[in-house]
Amino acid sequence: MSPDTMTERRAVERIVLNTYGRLTGRAGEPMRYAMMEDTPVGVLGLAAGEAGLRRLDFVKDEATFVEWLFDSYGDRPILRSDDLDKVRRALDRYFAGDRLTFDLAVDLSDVSGFHERVLRAAVRIPVGEVLTYTEIAAKAGNPRASRAAGNALHNNPVAIIVPCHRIVRSDGSLGGYGGGLHVKEYLLKHEGVLLV
Amino acid sequence: MTHNERAARLLAQYGIELARHIRRIVRDDDAAQDLLQETLLRAHRALTRLGPGANVRAWLYRIATNTSLNHLRSLSRERRALERHAREADAARHPDTDGRAEQAERQRVALWGAVAALPERQRQAITLRVADELEYEEIARRLGCTPEAARANVYQATKRLRLEVAQ
Repeated sequence: MSPDTMTERRAVERIVLNTYGRLTGRAGEPMRYAMMEDTPVGVLGLAAGEAGLRRLDFVKDEATFVEWLFDSYGDRPILRSDDLDKVRRALDRYFAGDRLTFDLAVDLSDVSGFHERVLRAAVRIPVGEVLTYTEIAAKAGNPRASRAAGNALHNNPVAIIVPCHRIVRSDGSLGGYGGGLHVKEYLLKHEGVLLV
Repeated sequence: MTHNERAARLLAQYGIELARHIRRIVRDDDAAQDLLQETLLRAHRALTRLGPGANVRAWLYRIATNTSLNHLRSLSRERRALERHAREADAARHPDTDGRAEQAERQRVALWGAVAALPERQRQAITLRVADELEYEEIARRLGCTPEAARANVYQATKRLRLEVAQ
């Protein structure tokens, strides 16, 4: 990027953030977001802070997602930004089948404790493999907490990239999925998992 | 939700591109900040009247362009008045000889002043083409028209401005 472009970007962002302060009092590091309007699994909303990608949600449309961000991150400016283009390109490659793994900074500070351990265990499941709810609960340190593990996966803030879809029931059926079961089925087939 | 909070939703979705557009026209960060805020509050009021289904983006560009050009126009009026005042008050003082930068700035403001007098569609299309250096497809996307219409508006605007400047 040329120095001119960088200077312009910084100046433009300062103008927007100052205006935010004047209108609403929201200040500090903004939550940046981007949309992916037509993926094979519908509309996706992405949001990231300084530390990395914080949300990847299945959403109805941009306005709904923006409203949700305003409610959920009440103290921070919300800003549509092309800083998330890297994430979008990684997802494009994923959906195209060119590259099914992600090398992106993910920020799980919206979850903690057992829930966070479940999600970190899910990240380690390789493409093409699945675990059961009991197995992932065990990997997170409590084999008897399969129901709590299910809740943690259901509330996964960074869908697809934290692959909560790679957890299925021990009888081989799909279990649940926040984005809808057809999405879970699509993702697993896309990753080459043979479903019963 | 207050007026300001509603305007902040527009800021979240369109703030960056509008700030860039305004800043490229007025070339002044402080002014751009005031104009962005004014644009959002005015747009919010307008959109409340228009209701759902309106082309929000095209509206925002329209208001941002007009607000910015009005600012330049009043700046140019202000400057002319100051110059007149300076001449009358101090007829003996020589104008500074190395005023090239100042003259270029005056020309720029005068040109945008002429842009401000163009018909609505031409005015919007030419600011996007000249200030933001956009392709016709992108201009069309922001104004909610066809690329052909965008091209025709830029063409008409250029023709008129040439006449204005030649005078």
